[in-house]
Amino acid sequence: METDILAVEDIVGGYGKQTVLNGTSFRVARGAITTVIGPNGAGKSTVFKAVFGLLRVQRGRVVFDGREVTNLDPRRLLELGISYVPQGRNVFPELTVLHNLELGATAAGRDANVAGRIESLMERFPMLRRKAGAQASTLSGGEQKLLEIARGLLLEPKLMLIDEPSIGLSPLLVKETFGILQDLRAKGVSILMVEQNAKRALEISDFGVVLELGRTRIEAAAGAILADPRVGQLFLGGHIAGS
Amino acid sequence: MLLWQTSQTINFAQGEFVMLPAFFVLAAMKFGGLSFPMAMLAGFAVSLLVLGLLFKRLVVEPVIRHGVLPLVISTIALAILMKEGVKEFYAADAQPFPAAWATTNLQVAGMVVSVQNLVIIAVAALAVAALQYFLAGTRTGRSMQATAQNPALARVLGIPVGRMVLYTFLINAGLVALASFLVSPIYLAKFTNGETLGLVAFVAAIVGGFNQVRGAIAGGLLLGVVDNFVAAYLSAQYRAAIPLFLLIAVILLRPQGLLGRVEERTV
Ligand SMILES: Nc1ncnc2c1ncn2[C@@H]1O[C@H](COP(=O)(O)OP(=O)(O)OP(=O)(O)O)[C@@H](O)[C@H]1O
Ligand SMILES: [Mg+2]
Repeated sequence: METDILAVEDIVGGYGKQTVLNGTSFRVARGAITTVIGPNGAGKSTVFKAVFGLLRVQRGRVVFDGREVTNLDPRRLLELGISYVPQGRNVFPELTVLHNLELGATAAGRDANVAGRIESLMERFPMLRRKAGAQASTLSGGEQKLLEIARGLLLEPKLMLIDEPSIGLSPLLVKETFGILQDLRAKGVSILMVEQNAKRALEISDFGVVLELGRTRIEAAAGAILADPRVGQLFLGGHIAGS
Repeated sequence: MLLWQTSQTINFAQGEFVMLPAFFVLAAMKFGGLSFPMAMLAGFAVSLLVLGLLFKRLVVEPVIRHGVLPLVISTIALAILMKEGVKEFYAADAQPFPAAWATTNLQVAGMVVSVQNLVIIAVAALAVAALQYFLAGTRTGRSMQATAQNPALARVLGIPVGRMVLYTFLINAGLVALASFLVSPIYLAKFTNGETLGLVAFVAAIVGGFNQVRGAIAGGLLLGVVDNFVAAYLSAQYRAAIPLFLLIAVILLRPQGLLGRVEERTV
């Protein structure tokens, strides 16, 4: 078994004529949390879209769990064990919480015990049971994020891509959300996340990747990135050093 | 309405879509020599094919790439094409269309009620109930709603978006054919039918709230009731003005529609 769950190798891609990823490369270790940081517009979300088959990779390769998955369809990637929680709000507002959850199991095999998995997710996140019948639009921002993460777990993924989970959440909820990610890691799920809140994210991460203008600038252990003076200056306006 | 949500546009030929299936049936009887029930089946199948599949493949998909406005214009052009096509190749005058049910009247508590109207209301209510059940009560139905509400997210979750959109078009075509078979015995099949029907459907949708299936249906029912009420008790002359009057009232008082919600879009 390979030690890395995901390898992004020299990928190029963009929107129309605009190239955003200029040969991006990094690795995601199995059973660890890896956080991608970088300034706005660096291409962090774009890398996730490229890995998840939502944006065409024009050059380079994506290797997941030892097999090449470059430009595979999202459906196929879900079946192989990747799930993706995009940036922003990602619920179907006019469907109930339960039905939103259920749709996360669309790609499940026929013999998957979806009801059992929903039950155990509700056990773990009681809010989901309490609000099961409510329209998703009535949830608070934190509750919606929780619903999205739970929905992403329905297929029992090996790797979860999660884009800015803490955006718009109160400090308490950020802590709770990061706590959930740490629990997941303890259960063996590999996590690749993008975070604006770089200091907090790196503190719970094993590895960090610094992206700038669609290229990998630094790839190292999270602690080393936190301690790297270049990071604070270059990308976070002294945010790491200051807070 | 689901169609409007999924393709993010308004089909200005919807009225003509209701006009046409009756002519499919008439043509099947006249040229194909089919009996009325067989012709209805054939007309239904042709409607699914032409107004569902071909409309999606040949009109919506190639045009939507260029934006919503070109599609709106295309559907307007399609409406004219369908109207003129029927006029040129079938008939310019109103054609009698057989009813699949009794056309007698009943006396109920001193009022005259036509069996025809009762059948229409019953079948329409049944179709609406079945549609509601399908959309809300089945996995596939909810996947269709999900696709309408946020197609990008639906794709991320592995929902077969293309297939859901196709179902939406087929259901729309099926409903349109049903409406055609119900309405044509009363109004007769005529190439201009789409104009009135389209206006009424459009207004019903706005009255009820564009983003809600329930709203559009409620709007349609309200419109029907008020319309008949005015025709019966005031004057049939004012009848045509009723949808517009209601439309203005609703836009002024409740811009989001009767049951609609204020649109709230996040990226
Ligand atoms: N759908 C799109 N169409 C065209 N250009 C886009 C699109 N999405 C992003 N871009 C552009 O691609 C570049 C990278 O965007 P991306 O969303 O990957 O940045 P990011 O690193 O995630 O930034 P943020 O921290 O703001 O989320 C930006 O210049 C952005 O304007
Ligand atoms: Mg981003």
